Amino acid sequence: KHSDVKATRSEYRQECQETHKLQTSCAKAAQVLARDGPNALTPPKATPEIVKFLKQMIGGFSILLWIGAVFSWISFGIQLAQGAESPFDNLYLGVVLALVVILTGIFAYYQEAKSTNIMASFSKMIPQQALVIRDGEKKELPADQLVVGDIVEIKGGDRIPADIRLIFAQGCKVDNSSLTGESEPQSRSCDFTHENPLETKNIAFYSTTCVEGTATGIVINTGDRTIIGRIASLTSGVGNEKTPIAIEIEHFVYLVAGVAISIGVLFFIISVSMRYKILDSIIFLIGIIVANVPEGLLATVTVSLSLTAKRMAKKNCLVKNLEAVETLGSTSVICSDKTGTLTQNRMTVAHLWFDNQIYSADTSEDQTTQPFDQSSPSWTALSKIVTLCNRAEFRPGQENLPIMKRVVVGDASETALLKFAEVILGDVMNIRAQNKKVAEIPFNSTNKFQLSIHKTDDPNDERFLLVMKGAPERILERCSTIMINGKEEPLDSEKAEAFQTAYMELGGMGERVLGFCHLYLPENEFPDTYSFDTDSMNFPTSNLCFVGLLSMIDPPRSTVPDAVSKCRSAGIKVIMVTGDHPITAKAIAKSVGIISATSETVEDIAKRLNIPVEQVNWREATAAVVNGMELKDMSSQQLDEILCNHSEIVFARTSPQQKLIIVEGCQRQVRGHHLLTKPTSFCVFQGAVVAVTGDGVNDSPALKKADIGIAMGIAGSDAAKNAADMVLLDDNFASIVTGVEEGRLIFDNLKKTIAYTLTKNIAELCPFLIYIIASIPLPIGTITILFIDLGTDIIPSVALAYEKAESDIMNRRPRNKRKDRLVNEQLAIYSYLQIGIMQSVGAFVTYFTVYAEQGFLPSTLLGVRVNWENNAINDFEDSYGQEWTKYQRTYLQWTGYTAFFVSITIQQVADLIIRKTRRNSIFQQGNKVIWVGIFSQIGIALILTYGLGHVTALNFTPLRFQYWFVAVPFAILIWVYDEVRKLFIRRYPGSK
Amino acid sequence: MSKETKKPFRQSMTEWRQFIYNPNSGEFLGRTAKSWGLILLFYLVFYGFLAALFTFTMWVMLQTLSNDIPKYRDRISSPGLMISPKPDTALEFYFNKSDAQSYAEYVATLRKFLESYDDSKQSQNINCTPGRIFDQNDVAVKKACRFNLSELGQCSGKEDKTFGYSKGTPCVLVKVNRIIGLKPEGEPRIQCASKEAGMVEINYFPPEGLIDLMYFPYYGKSLHAHYLQPLVAVQLAINSNSTKEEIAIECKILGSPNLKNEDDRDKFLGRIAFKVQMTE
Repeated sequence: KHSDVKATRSEYRQECQETHKLQTSCAKAAQVLARDGPNALTPPKATPEIVKFLKQMIGGFSILLWIGAVFSWISFGIQLAQGAESPFDNLYLGVVLALVVILTGIFAYYQEAKSTNIMASFSKMIPQQALVIRDGEKKELPADQLVVGDIVEIKGGDRIPADIRLIFAQGCKVDNSSLTGESEPQSRSCDFTHENPLETKNIAFYSTTCVEGTATGIVINTGDRTIIGRIASLTSGVGNEKTPIAIEIEHFVYLVAGVAISIGVLFFIISVSMRYKILDSIIFLIGIIVANVPEGLLATVTVSLSLTAKRMAKKNCLVKNLEAVETLGSTSVICSDKTGTLTQNRMTVAHLWFDNQIYSADTSEDQTTQPFDQSSPSWTALSKIVTLCNRAEFRPGQENLPIMKRVVVGDASETALLKFAEVILGDVMNIRAQNKKVAEIPFNSTNKFQLSIHKTDDPNDERFLLVMKGAPERILERCSTIMINGKEEPLDSEKAEAFQTAYMELGGMGERVLGFCHLYLPENEFPDTYSFDTDSMNFPTSNLCFVGLLSMIDPPRSTVPDAVSKCRSAGIKVIMVTGDHPITAKAIAKSVGIISATSETVEDIAKRLNIPVEQVNWREATAAVVNGMELKDMSSQQLDEILCNHSEIVFARTSPQQKLIIVEGCQRQVRGHHLLTKPTSFCVFQGAVVAVTGDGVNDSPALKKADIGIAMGIAGSDAAKNAADMVLLDDNFASIVTGVEEGRLIFDNLKKTIAYTLTKNIAELCPFLIYIIASIPLPIGTITILFIDLGTDIIPSVALAYEKAESDIMNRRPRNKRKDRLVNEQLAIYSYLQIGIMQSVGAFVTYFTVYAEQGFLPSTLLGVRVNWENNAINDFEDSYGQEWTKYQRTYLQWTGYTAFFVSITIQQVADLIIRKTRRNSIFQQGNKVIWVGIFSQIGIALILTYGLGHVTALNFTPLRFQYWFVAVPFAILIWVYDEVRKLFIRRYPGSK
Repeated sequence: MSKETKKPFRQSMTEWRQFIYNPNSGEFLGRTAKSWGLILLFYLVFYGFLAALFTFTMWVMLQTLSNDIPKYRDRISSPGLMISPKPDTALEFYFNKSDAQSYAEYVATLRKFLESYDDSKQSQNINCTPGRIFDQNDVAVKKACRFNLSELGQCSGKEDKTFGYSKGTPCVLVKVNRIIGLKPEGEPRIQCASKEAGMVEINYFPPEGLIDLMYFPYYGKSLHAHYLQPLVAVQLAINSNSTKEEIAIECKILGSPNLKNEDDRDKFLGRIAFKVQMTE
């Protein structure tokens, strides 16, 4: 379609005149529509729901449990064929295992779907309408009906319905920020000004908005062929990497599954070689698998993550993908936008210069007064110009709102001045009414000034006041005097020098500077009835009196500097990536601390040492401001070096595409192996997790590429929100930091949850192993194990997610993806080989006590398994000579299960208490939710034992009350042991 | 993830070798011998302590138990019934009355079972008063009541060494499981019935399958060492036209209100079912 764009000016003229010839007829439009498809972006391919669901069914431990279920059914089949007496036990077990998988799968799917739904509400858009001329008639059509060649009319406030080439434009300005990131509205005309379609003035793009003016244009691209459509397809081309927590959980699943399978297979071999029947060995294998797999854990993790997600949503971080909760916690680099994220996204007066002095103004979000010295008469004069030479107005009906929050009609600078004046002077509209405007020349790019003439509010003064503002150098040119302390003094070279210095200084701070001047028109020349004509300019516009300068900036949000310094102490590198001018970018970076007060860029060093930039050793500079133009010519190695060698980096004037390159650079920098061998680089190679903030459509590839993409909730485009993993509801950088904190906390707490859950696996596994080796009656049944994993343990595991941070987690470095695993060797060994074994010992003591007190002394129990389980033996003799039927033994065995279950539960309470904290003593840290966990645990155990003790299928029996206390000494031992361990850790930190 | 460059095989082998044994630092599997020794020592001490603790608590627990009677007997409030001989597989008797080999095992089992009832073994046992509970609570040394084998009549094995198996009238001994302190009420007796009427005629020894109360209560293995539980012999006279058919027989304990015989789940509580199939 380039030929369209390049058409010469005269051709356009012609087109403009012959608009009617270009109109598409409805019939043709229908044809083109059939050929090109509707004018809408193809939504990204979503994974079918059924696939998502099935993934939940086979992911994680599900496969192991399915194997268990299948084995159960196989042994049921074999037993049924052999005509055994109670084959249905295995059928039930298989069904229960399958149910566990299906239910946890449904649960995980539901959780995932719920968080996706939150996002779906974002993408709901009101169907757009477009004003089209077809068959010579203006018609309102849904925008998706547009076809190439249609002529559409747009006016201020409309969204551009497709890529259009303008054939008529009047004062048309478009906001391309969603596409390019530039926040300044850009004017549009029929003129072809640039080869690049993105730069040329005569094209308006789909999904951008027309801010003011009107235009008519020809549709040149629709749907996916629009510029935005191409970016969108670029986005879907960027692959999604696994989140760090997904990698961790996978690692954990492999670890546990590895243990389960190796122990299972080992004991399968052992039991076969001990001459157990193959069928029995298979049943043992099922038991070992079930004991090893923490069935409830993945559901618990999901719940914990969604709890954190909820908490984060309250702090304005809306998480789209649950796993992203943790990703934010492991973030080591944040590539942040400037406008809106770091700044307030509104121009605010920052400095004033009058009476040869620079005054600072308050730029915070909720200013109500301005503290600078307002006693000088020069200020009175300046304030009058600021108030009067201004076309911006408050929208009516906002009297009760704070001034800073009121909506203003007018451009950004005028809005800033209006609000500034309103804060200091009060009712600006009233002042304007009292100083009636008689003539006005609005700002235009040739004049570079704005002028108005007013009657004054002083009834004794009949003179007209001419006020003017504009580019400072242009204003100064028109002045012959300057006001100092309310007196007009001639503008000599010394005063002009002072002006220059102030102008440079304010400009150097990245601020937009405006000059203000006035002139009281002599009464005799300009009487009350004088008719001012702005076209002929029948009034003086030179030899005015210069009053002062005002400079404006989009100031940083007040919470940002603190947030940046928090990031710094948390070891997170904050990189600013902006489309703005380097000077402004640097100024903001300095004021928020992205570039700290003491660090220097290469340019700063050059300036300080007074040497050319090339001679500076760039390694000495800790900060860098990289211009997009420089970035364009850089190789990826050079980019790596910059990212590596500077701790404080600002990328300015970057194009949308470069943002993606920077993100990739950040990820590569620390992931690549090739750099490892380079002795010169001193990067930390730890597998960086990169967070990227963005709001525009152009940001979406970078958002998708990032480990965690953060879209802006207020300013963000739908495309950005779709590509992101998280949405900042208040667009505030500081919210990211709270998110990081929550993410780190949940990682710590998940560690605790897993440690808690893994421990009792050993207490569930040991019974099987000893049962096989020592041939004692089975101490705990497979169903009972499921009741622990999915019953008593669930609420306590979730309660651990409420645990507060132990030490200041924001003073730690981000976790090293390679080393700080969710489940590491120490955690597994400590859980499995120490606490787990202690729990087993405690549970076995209860088990032996129950049997001994019923007549089976431990010595009698050893080696009895075959006879014990023989259905035909109904006079099984105990240690006292009594004889037991099979059912009586089985019932006793269930009592044993219950006792073992109760003991594990009691000791899990101790486990819960010790897992609450990893370093701190229990006395140092409280958490009320833990009590809920403990009570639920005991409550569920009581219900199972006494409430459901008569349901045979569950294998629970009522238990004598004293058996609840047999394991208590062991629980206390576990707690004391761990307190001692923590004491050592606190005393001797860092030792292995 | 995909970008991770693969290390050459030799390098990874060297790394593995280094991991298994690193001659420079003397590290074996990533730790020095001293470190491994300390870990080993720790676990030795740790598990040693746990083992000692386990043993100690078990010892304390065992100290609280009596040698004579178990602490609780609530799991066996009512006795089960059992038969002798007890076929290996299930409670099913298959034999050929003309083939001595086919029932030799049953006969041997019965003979062995009745050994302890031999008069020579019962020299210490006393003759108790029939029909009355033999309460010895106050006596330190509990006496056992004599059970005369002759009470089993044709099933005593004295006259018929094959316990009737060779004649097609096989004997099955029914015994009541021992339970310490159990005192049956009423007049307990064993009664058997075949599901299919007319196939078999059942005789009981002692007559009517009575179980004498004097054998109760039982005081446990250590106090009541010579105790012999009462037996009821059931002789099944199988009709000659019912041979080759499987006859299902169920025996129940009747006549005593505190001995259960109809539990839904426990098929052996106060009752027993078995099958007999005889060929010629």
